[in-house]
Amino acid sequence: MMTEVHSAGQSQPAALGVGSHYVRRAGDEPAMQEAPLRARHRLGYGQILALIAALVAFGIFVRSQAGNPNMDWNVTGEYLFHPLILNGVAVTIQLAVLAMLISIVLAFGVAVAIQSTNKVASALGRAYVWFFRGVPMLVQVLLWYNLAVLFPTILGRDTNTLISGFTAGLFALSLAESGYMAEIIRGGILSVPAGQTDAGVSLGLTRGQALRRIVLPQSIRVIIPPTGNQFIGMLKATSLVSVIGGSDLLTRAQLIYGQNFKILPLLVVAVLWYLVLVTIASIGQYFLEKRFNNSQPGSRQARKGAGTPGTTTTAIRSMTGGALWKRQRR
Amino acid sequence: MEATAPVITKADTMLRIDGVHKWLGDNHVLKGVDIEVRTGEIVCILGPSGSGKSTLLRCINHLDPVDGGTIEIAGERVGYETRSGHLYEQRERQVAKARQQIGMVFQHFNLFGHMTALENVTYGPAKILGRPRKQVLATARELLAKVGMADRAEAYPSQLSGGQQQRVAIARALAMEPRLMMFDEPTSALDPELVGEVLATMRQVAEEGMTMVVVTHEIGFAREVADRVVFMDQGRVLEDGPAREVLDDPRHERTATFLRRVR
Ligand SMILES: Nc1ncnc2c1ncn2[C@@H]1O[C@H](COP(=O)(O)OP(=O)(O)OP(=O)(O)O)[C@@H](O)[C@H]1O
Ligand SMILES: [Mg+2]
Repeated sequence: MMTEVHSAGQSQPAALGVGSHYVRRAGDEPAMQEAPLRARHRLGYGQILALIAALVAFGIFVRSQAGNPNMDWNVTGEYLFHPLILNGVAVTIQLAVLAMLISIVLAFGVAVAIQSTNKVASALGRAYVWFFRGVPMLVQVLLWYNLAVLFPTILGRDTNTLISGFTAGLFALSLAESGYMAEIIRGGILSVPAGQTDAGVSLGLTRGQALRRIVLPQSIRVIIPPTGNQFIGMLKATSLVSVIGGSDLLTRAQLIYGQNFKILPLLVVAVLWYLVLVTIASIGQYFLEKRFNNSQPGSRQARKGAGTPGTTTTAIRSMTGGALWKRQRR
Repeated sequence: MEATAPVITKADTMLRIDGVHKWLGDNHVLKGVDIEVRTGEIVCILGPSGSGKSTLLRCINHLDPVDGGTIEIAGERVGYETRSGHLYEQRERQVAKARQQIGMVFQHFNLFGHMTALENVTYGPAKILGRPRKQVLATARELLAKVGMADRAEAYPSQLSGGQQQRVAIARALAMEPRLMMFDEPTSALDPELVGEVLATMRQVAEEGMTMVVVTHEIGFAREVADRVVFMDQGRVLEDGPAREVLDDPRHERTATFLRRVR
């Protein structure tokens, strides 16, 4: 019975006429594909023209500016690895990473509050997002730095010594970012089908437990890629703390050109470093996205390397330090 | 659940649904539903789409609160309690506790996507009931073997066919040792070829004496396995009687037309 199968599709002989009826017999093999198709891309005239135009424009710009006395490349080279600048780069990285971590923790709380059945918590969560996402980051930085006007002392200590440019910047960036992150996390929560909550609750979890233990772990897949984007944004946003002397990269560059008046060369130093940081972050983002997009729920795509079909869960588990080893051992 | 004294256990009521009303928005979905299910009894609920069958099941384990009437499991109200003459909705934790006794199997399986088949089955007894790990694992493996999924214990739901997922979902519900199992169209999201394997698993559960409420369009299953068949339409029970009587000799005209159409 299994040797004769009605076949509809590729294994049918091409010359099957209308009304005929094909039945596959044992040993009746469909033709193998001999070689994959290889078609060449034609280089269009449009692309060639665009390339020439871009090269010419770039050449003109370089020729006109290379000799510009205000654009002193030696100074740029001299300060690129200056200890003060390197220290500023370190501060910028610290600021971005810490602010991002704090904002994610806050945002989880806010997102859960908004989604909860507790109406007061939900309203407070929405108000939080409304405020911290609504007020420009730069204004928030200034607000935190000038907190001393409202509260001259905190716990008996002078506010201005307690809150340095760095801490004020860190608070401001964390809180402003947490408004955005809360919405991203909420989107992640909403992306998990309601049936998951139903199943958890029917098993005997409370709604809150189902949210935390069943829904949140599955929302990570949706949350990770935009979080990468936010981090890249955050790397750049750290430059805002230069207005309050946050000792970050841009603050240091400004400090130096304030003394030697080599404004543009030092700004170029800053530009180069920001580009380096963002490029590194983008590469990380690329791999994260690839990993998480490859593993949509329900997809059975094989993951490279591992012998088992890849799933969202493997990615999530490795992210959350879960029991990935258990599967790879097999 | 032992089949030692079936005559006596069949006598008491496991589930009593009394005059239940439910609105969803402006939609009067359940209009006074009465159903009684005795311990060990298997009741199939039939009815056209939109007649309120899913809503009724969701009301039974208080996923949706009722707007009128009462639902009792083994004599205890689900989701509500009376204190000093006033009716209160129970706290989440109490409702959650009550739900542990009611197994639910969904049309779309709803297996936890971030857990393997085995973890889906162990989750309830280990993390909710707090049973010792060793015992939980042993029982879970037994259950998976029973539903024919022992060799796919480490697979994730996305790596399983619909029928396989549904069988794991049944094992997951059974792992909580519920007093009542509810099935909401457990086979209607499946390819025709996979329906049989799930029905066979359900038949097996039925044979072990489980009290079951099954919403289904599988007339054959209802005829063979059910003790009683309830026919619902537009939020009301139109007919309720012994399975063969209702299916082969429906008394209500609406039941008869419905059965002619699905057959
Ligand atoms: N959230 C909602 N708001 C308003 N009406 C709803 C909502 N959900 C369901 N309904 C309506 O309630 C009625 C009963 O729905 P229910 O899902 O219980 O029917 P059912 O008998 O399970 O149907 P099916 O066989 O299609 O599953 C339907 O008319 C449906 O349109
Ligand atoms: Mg339904």
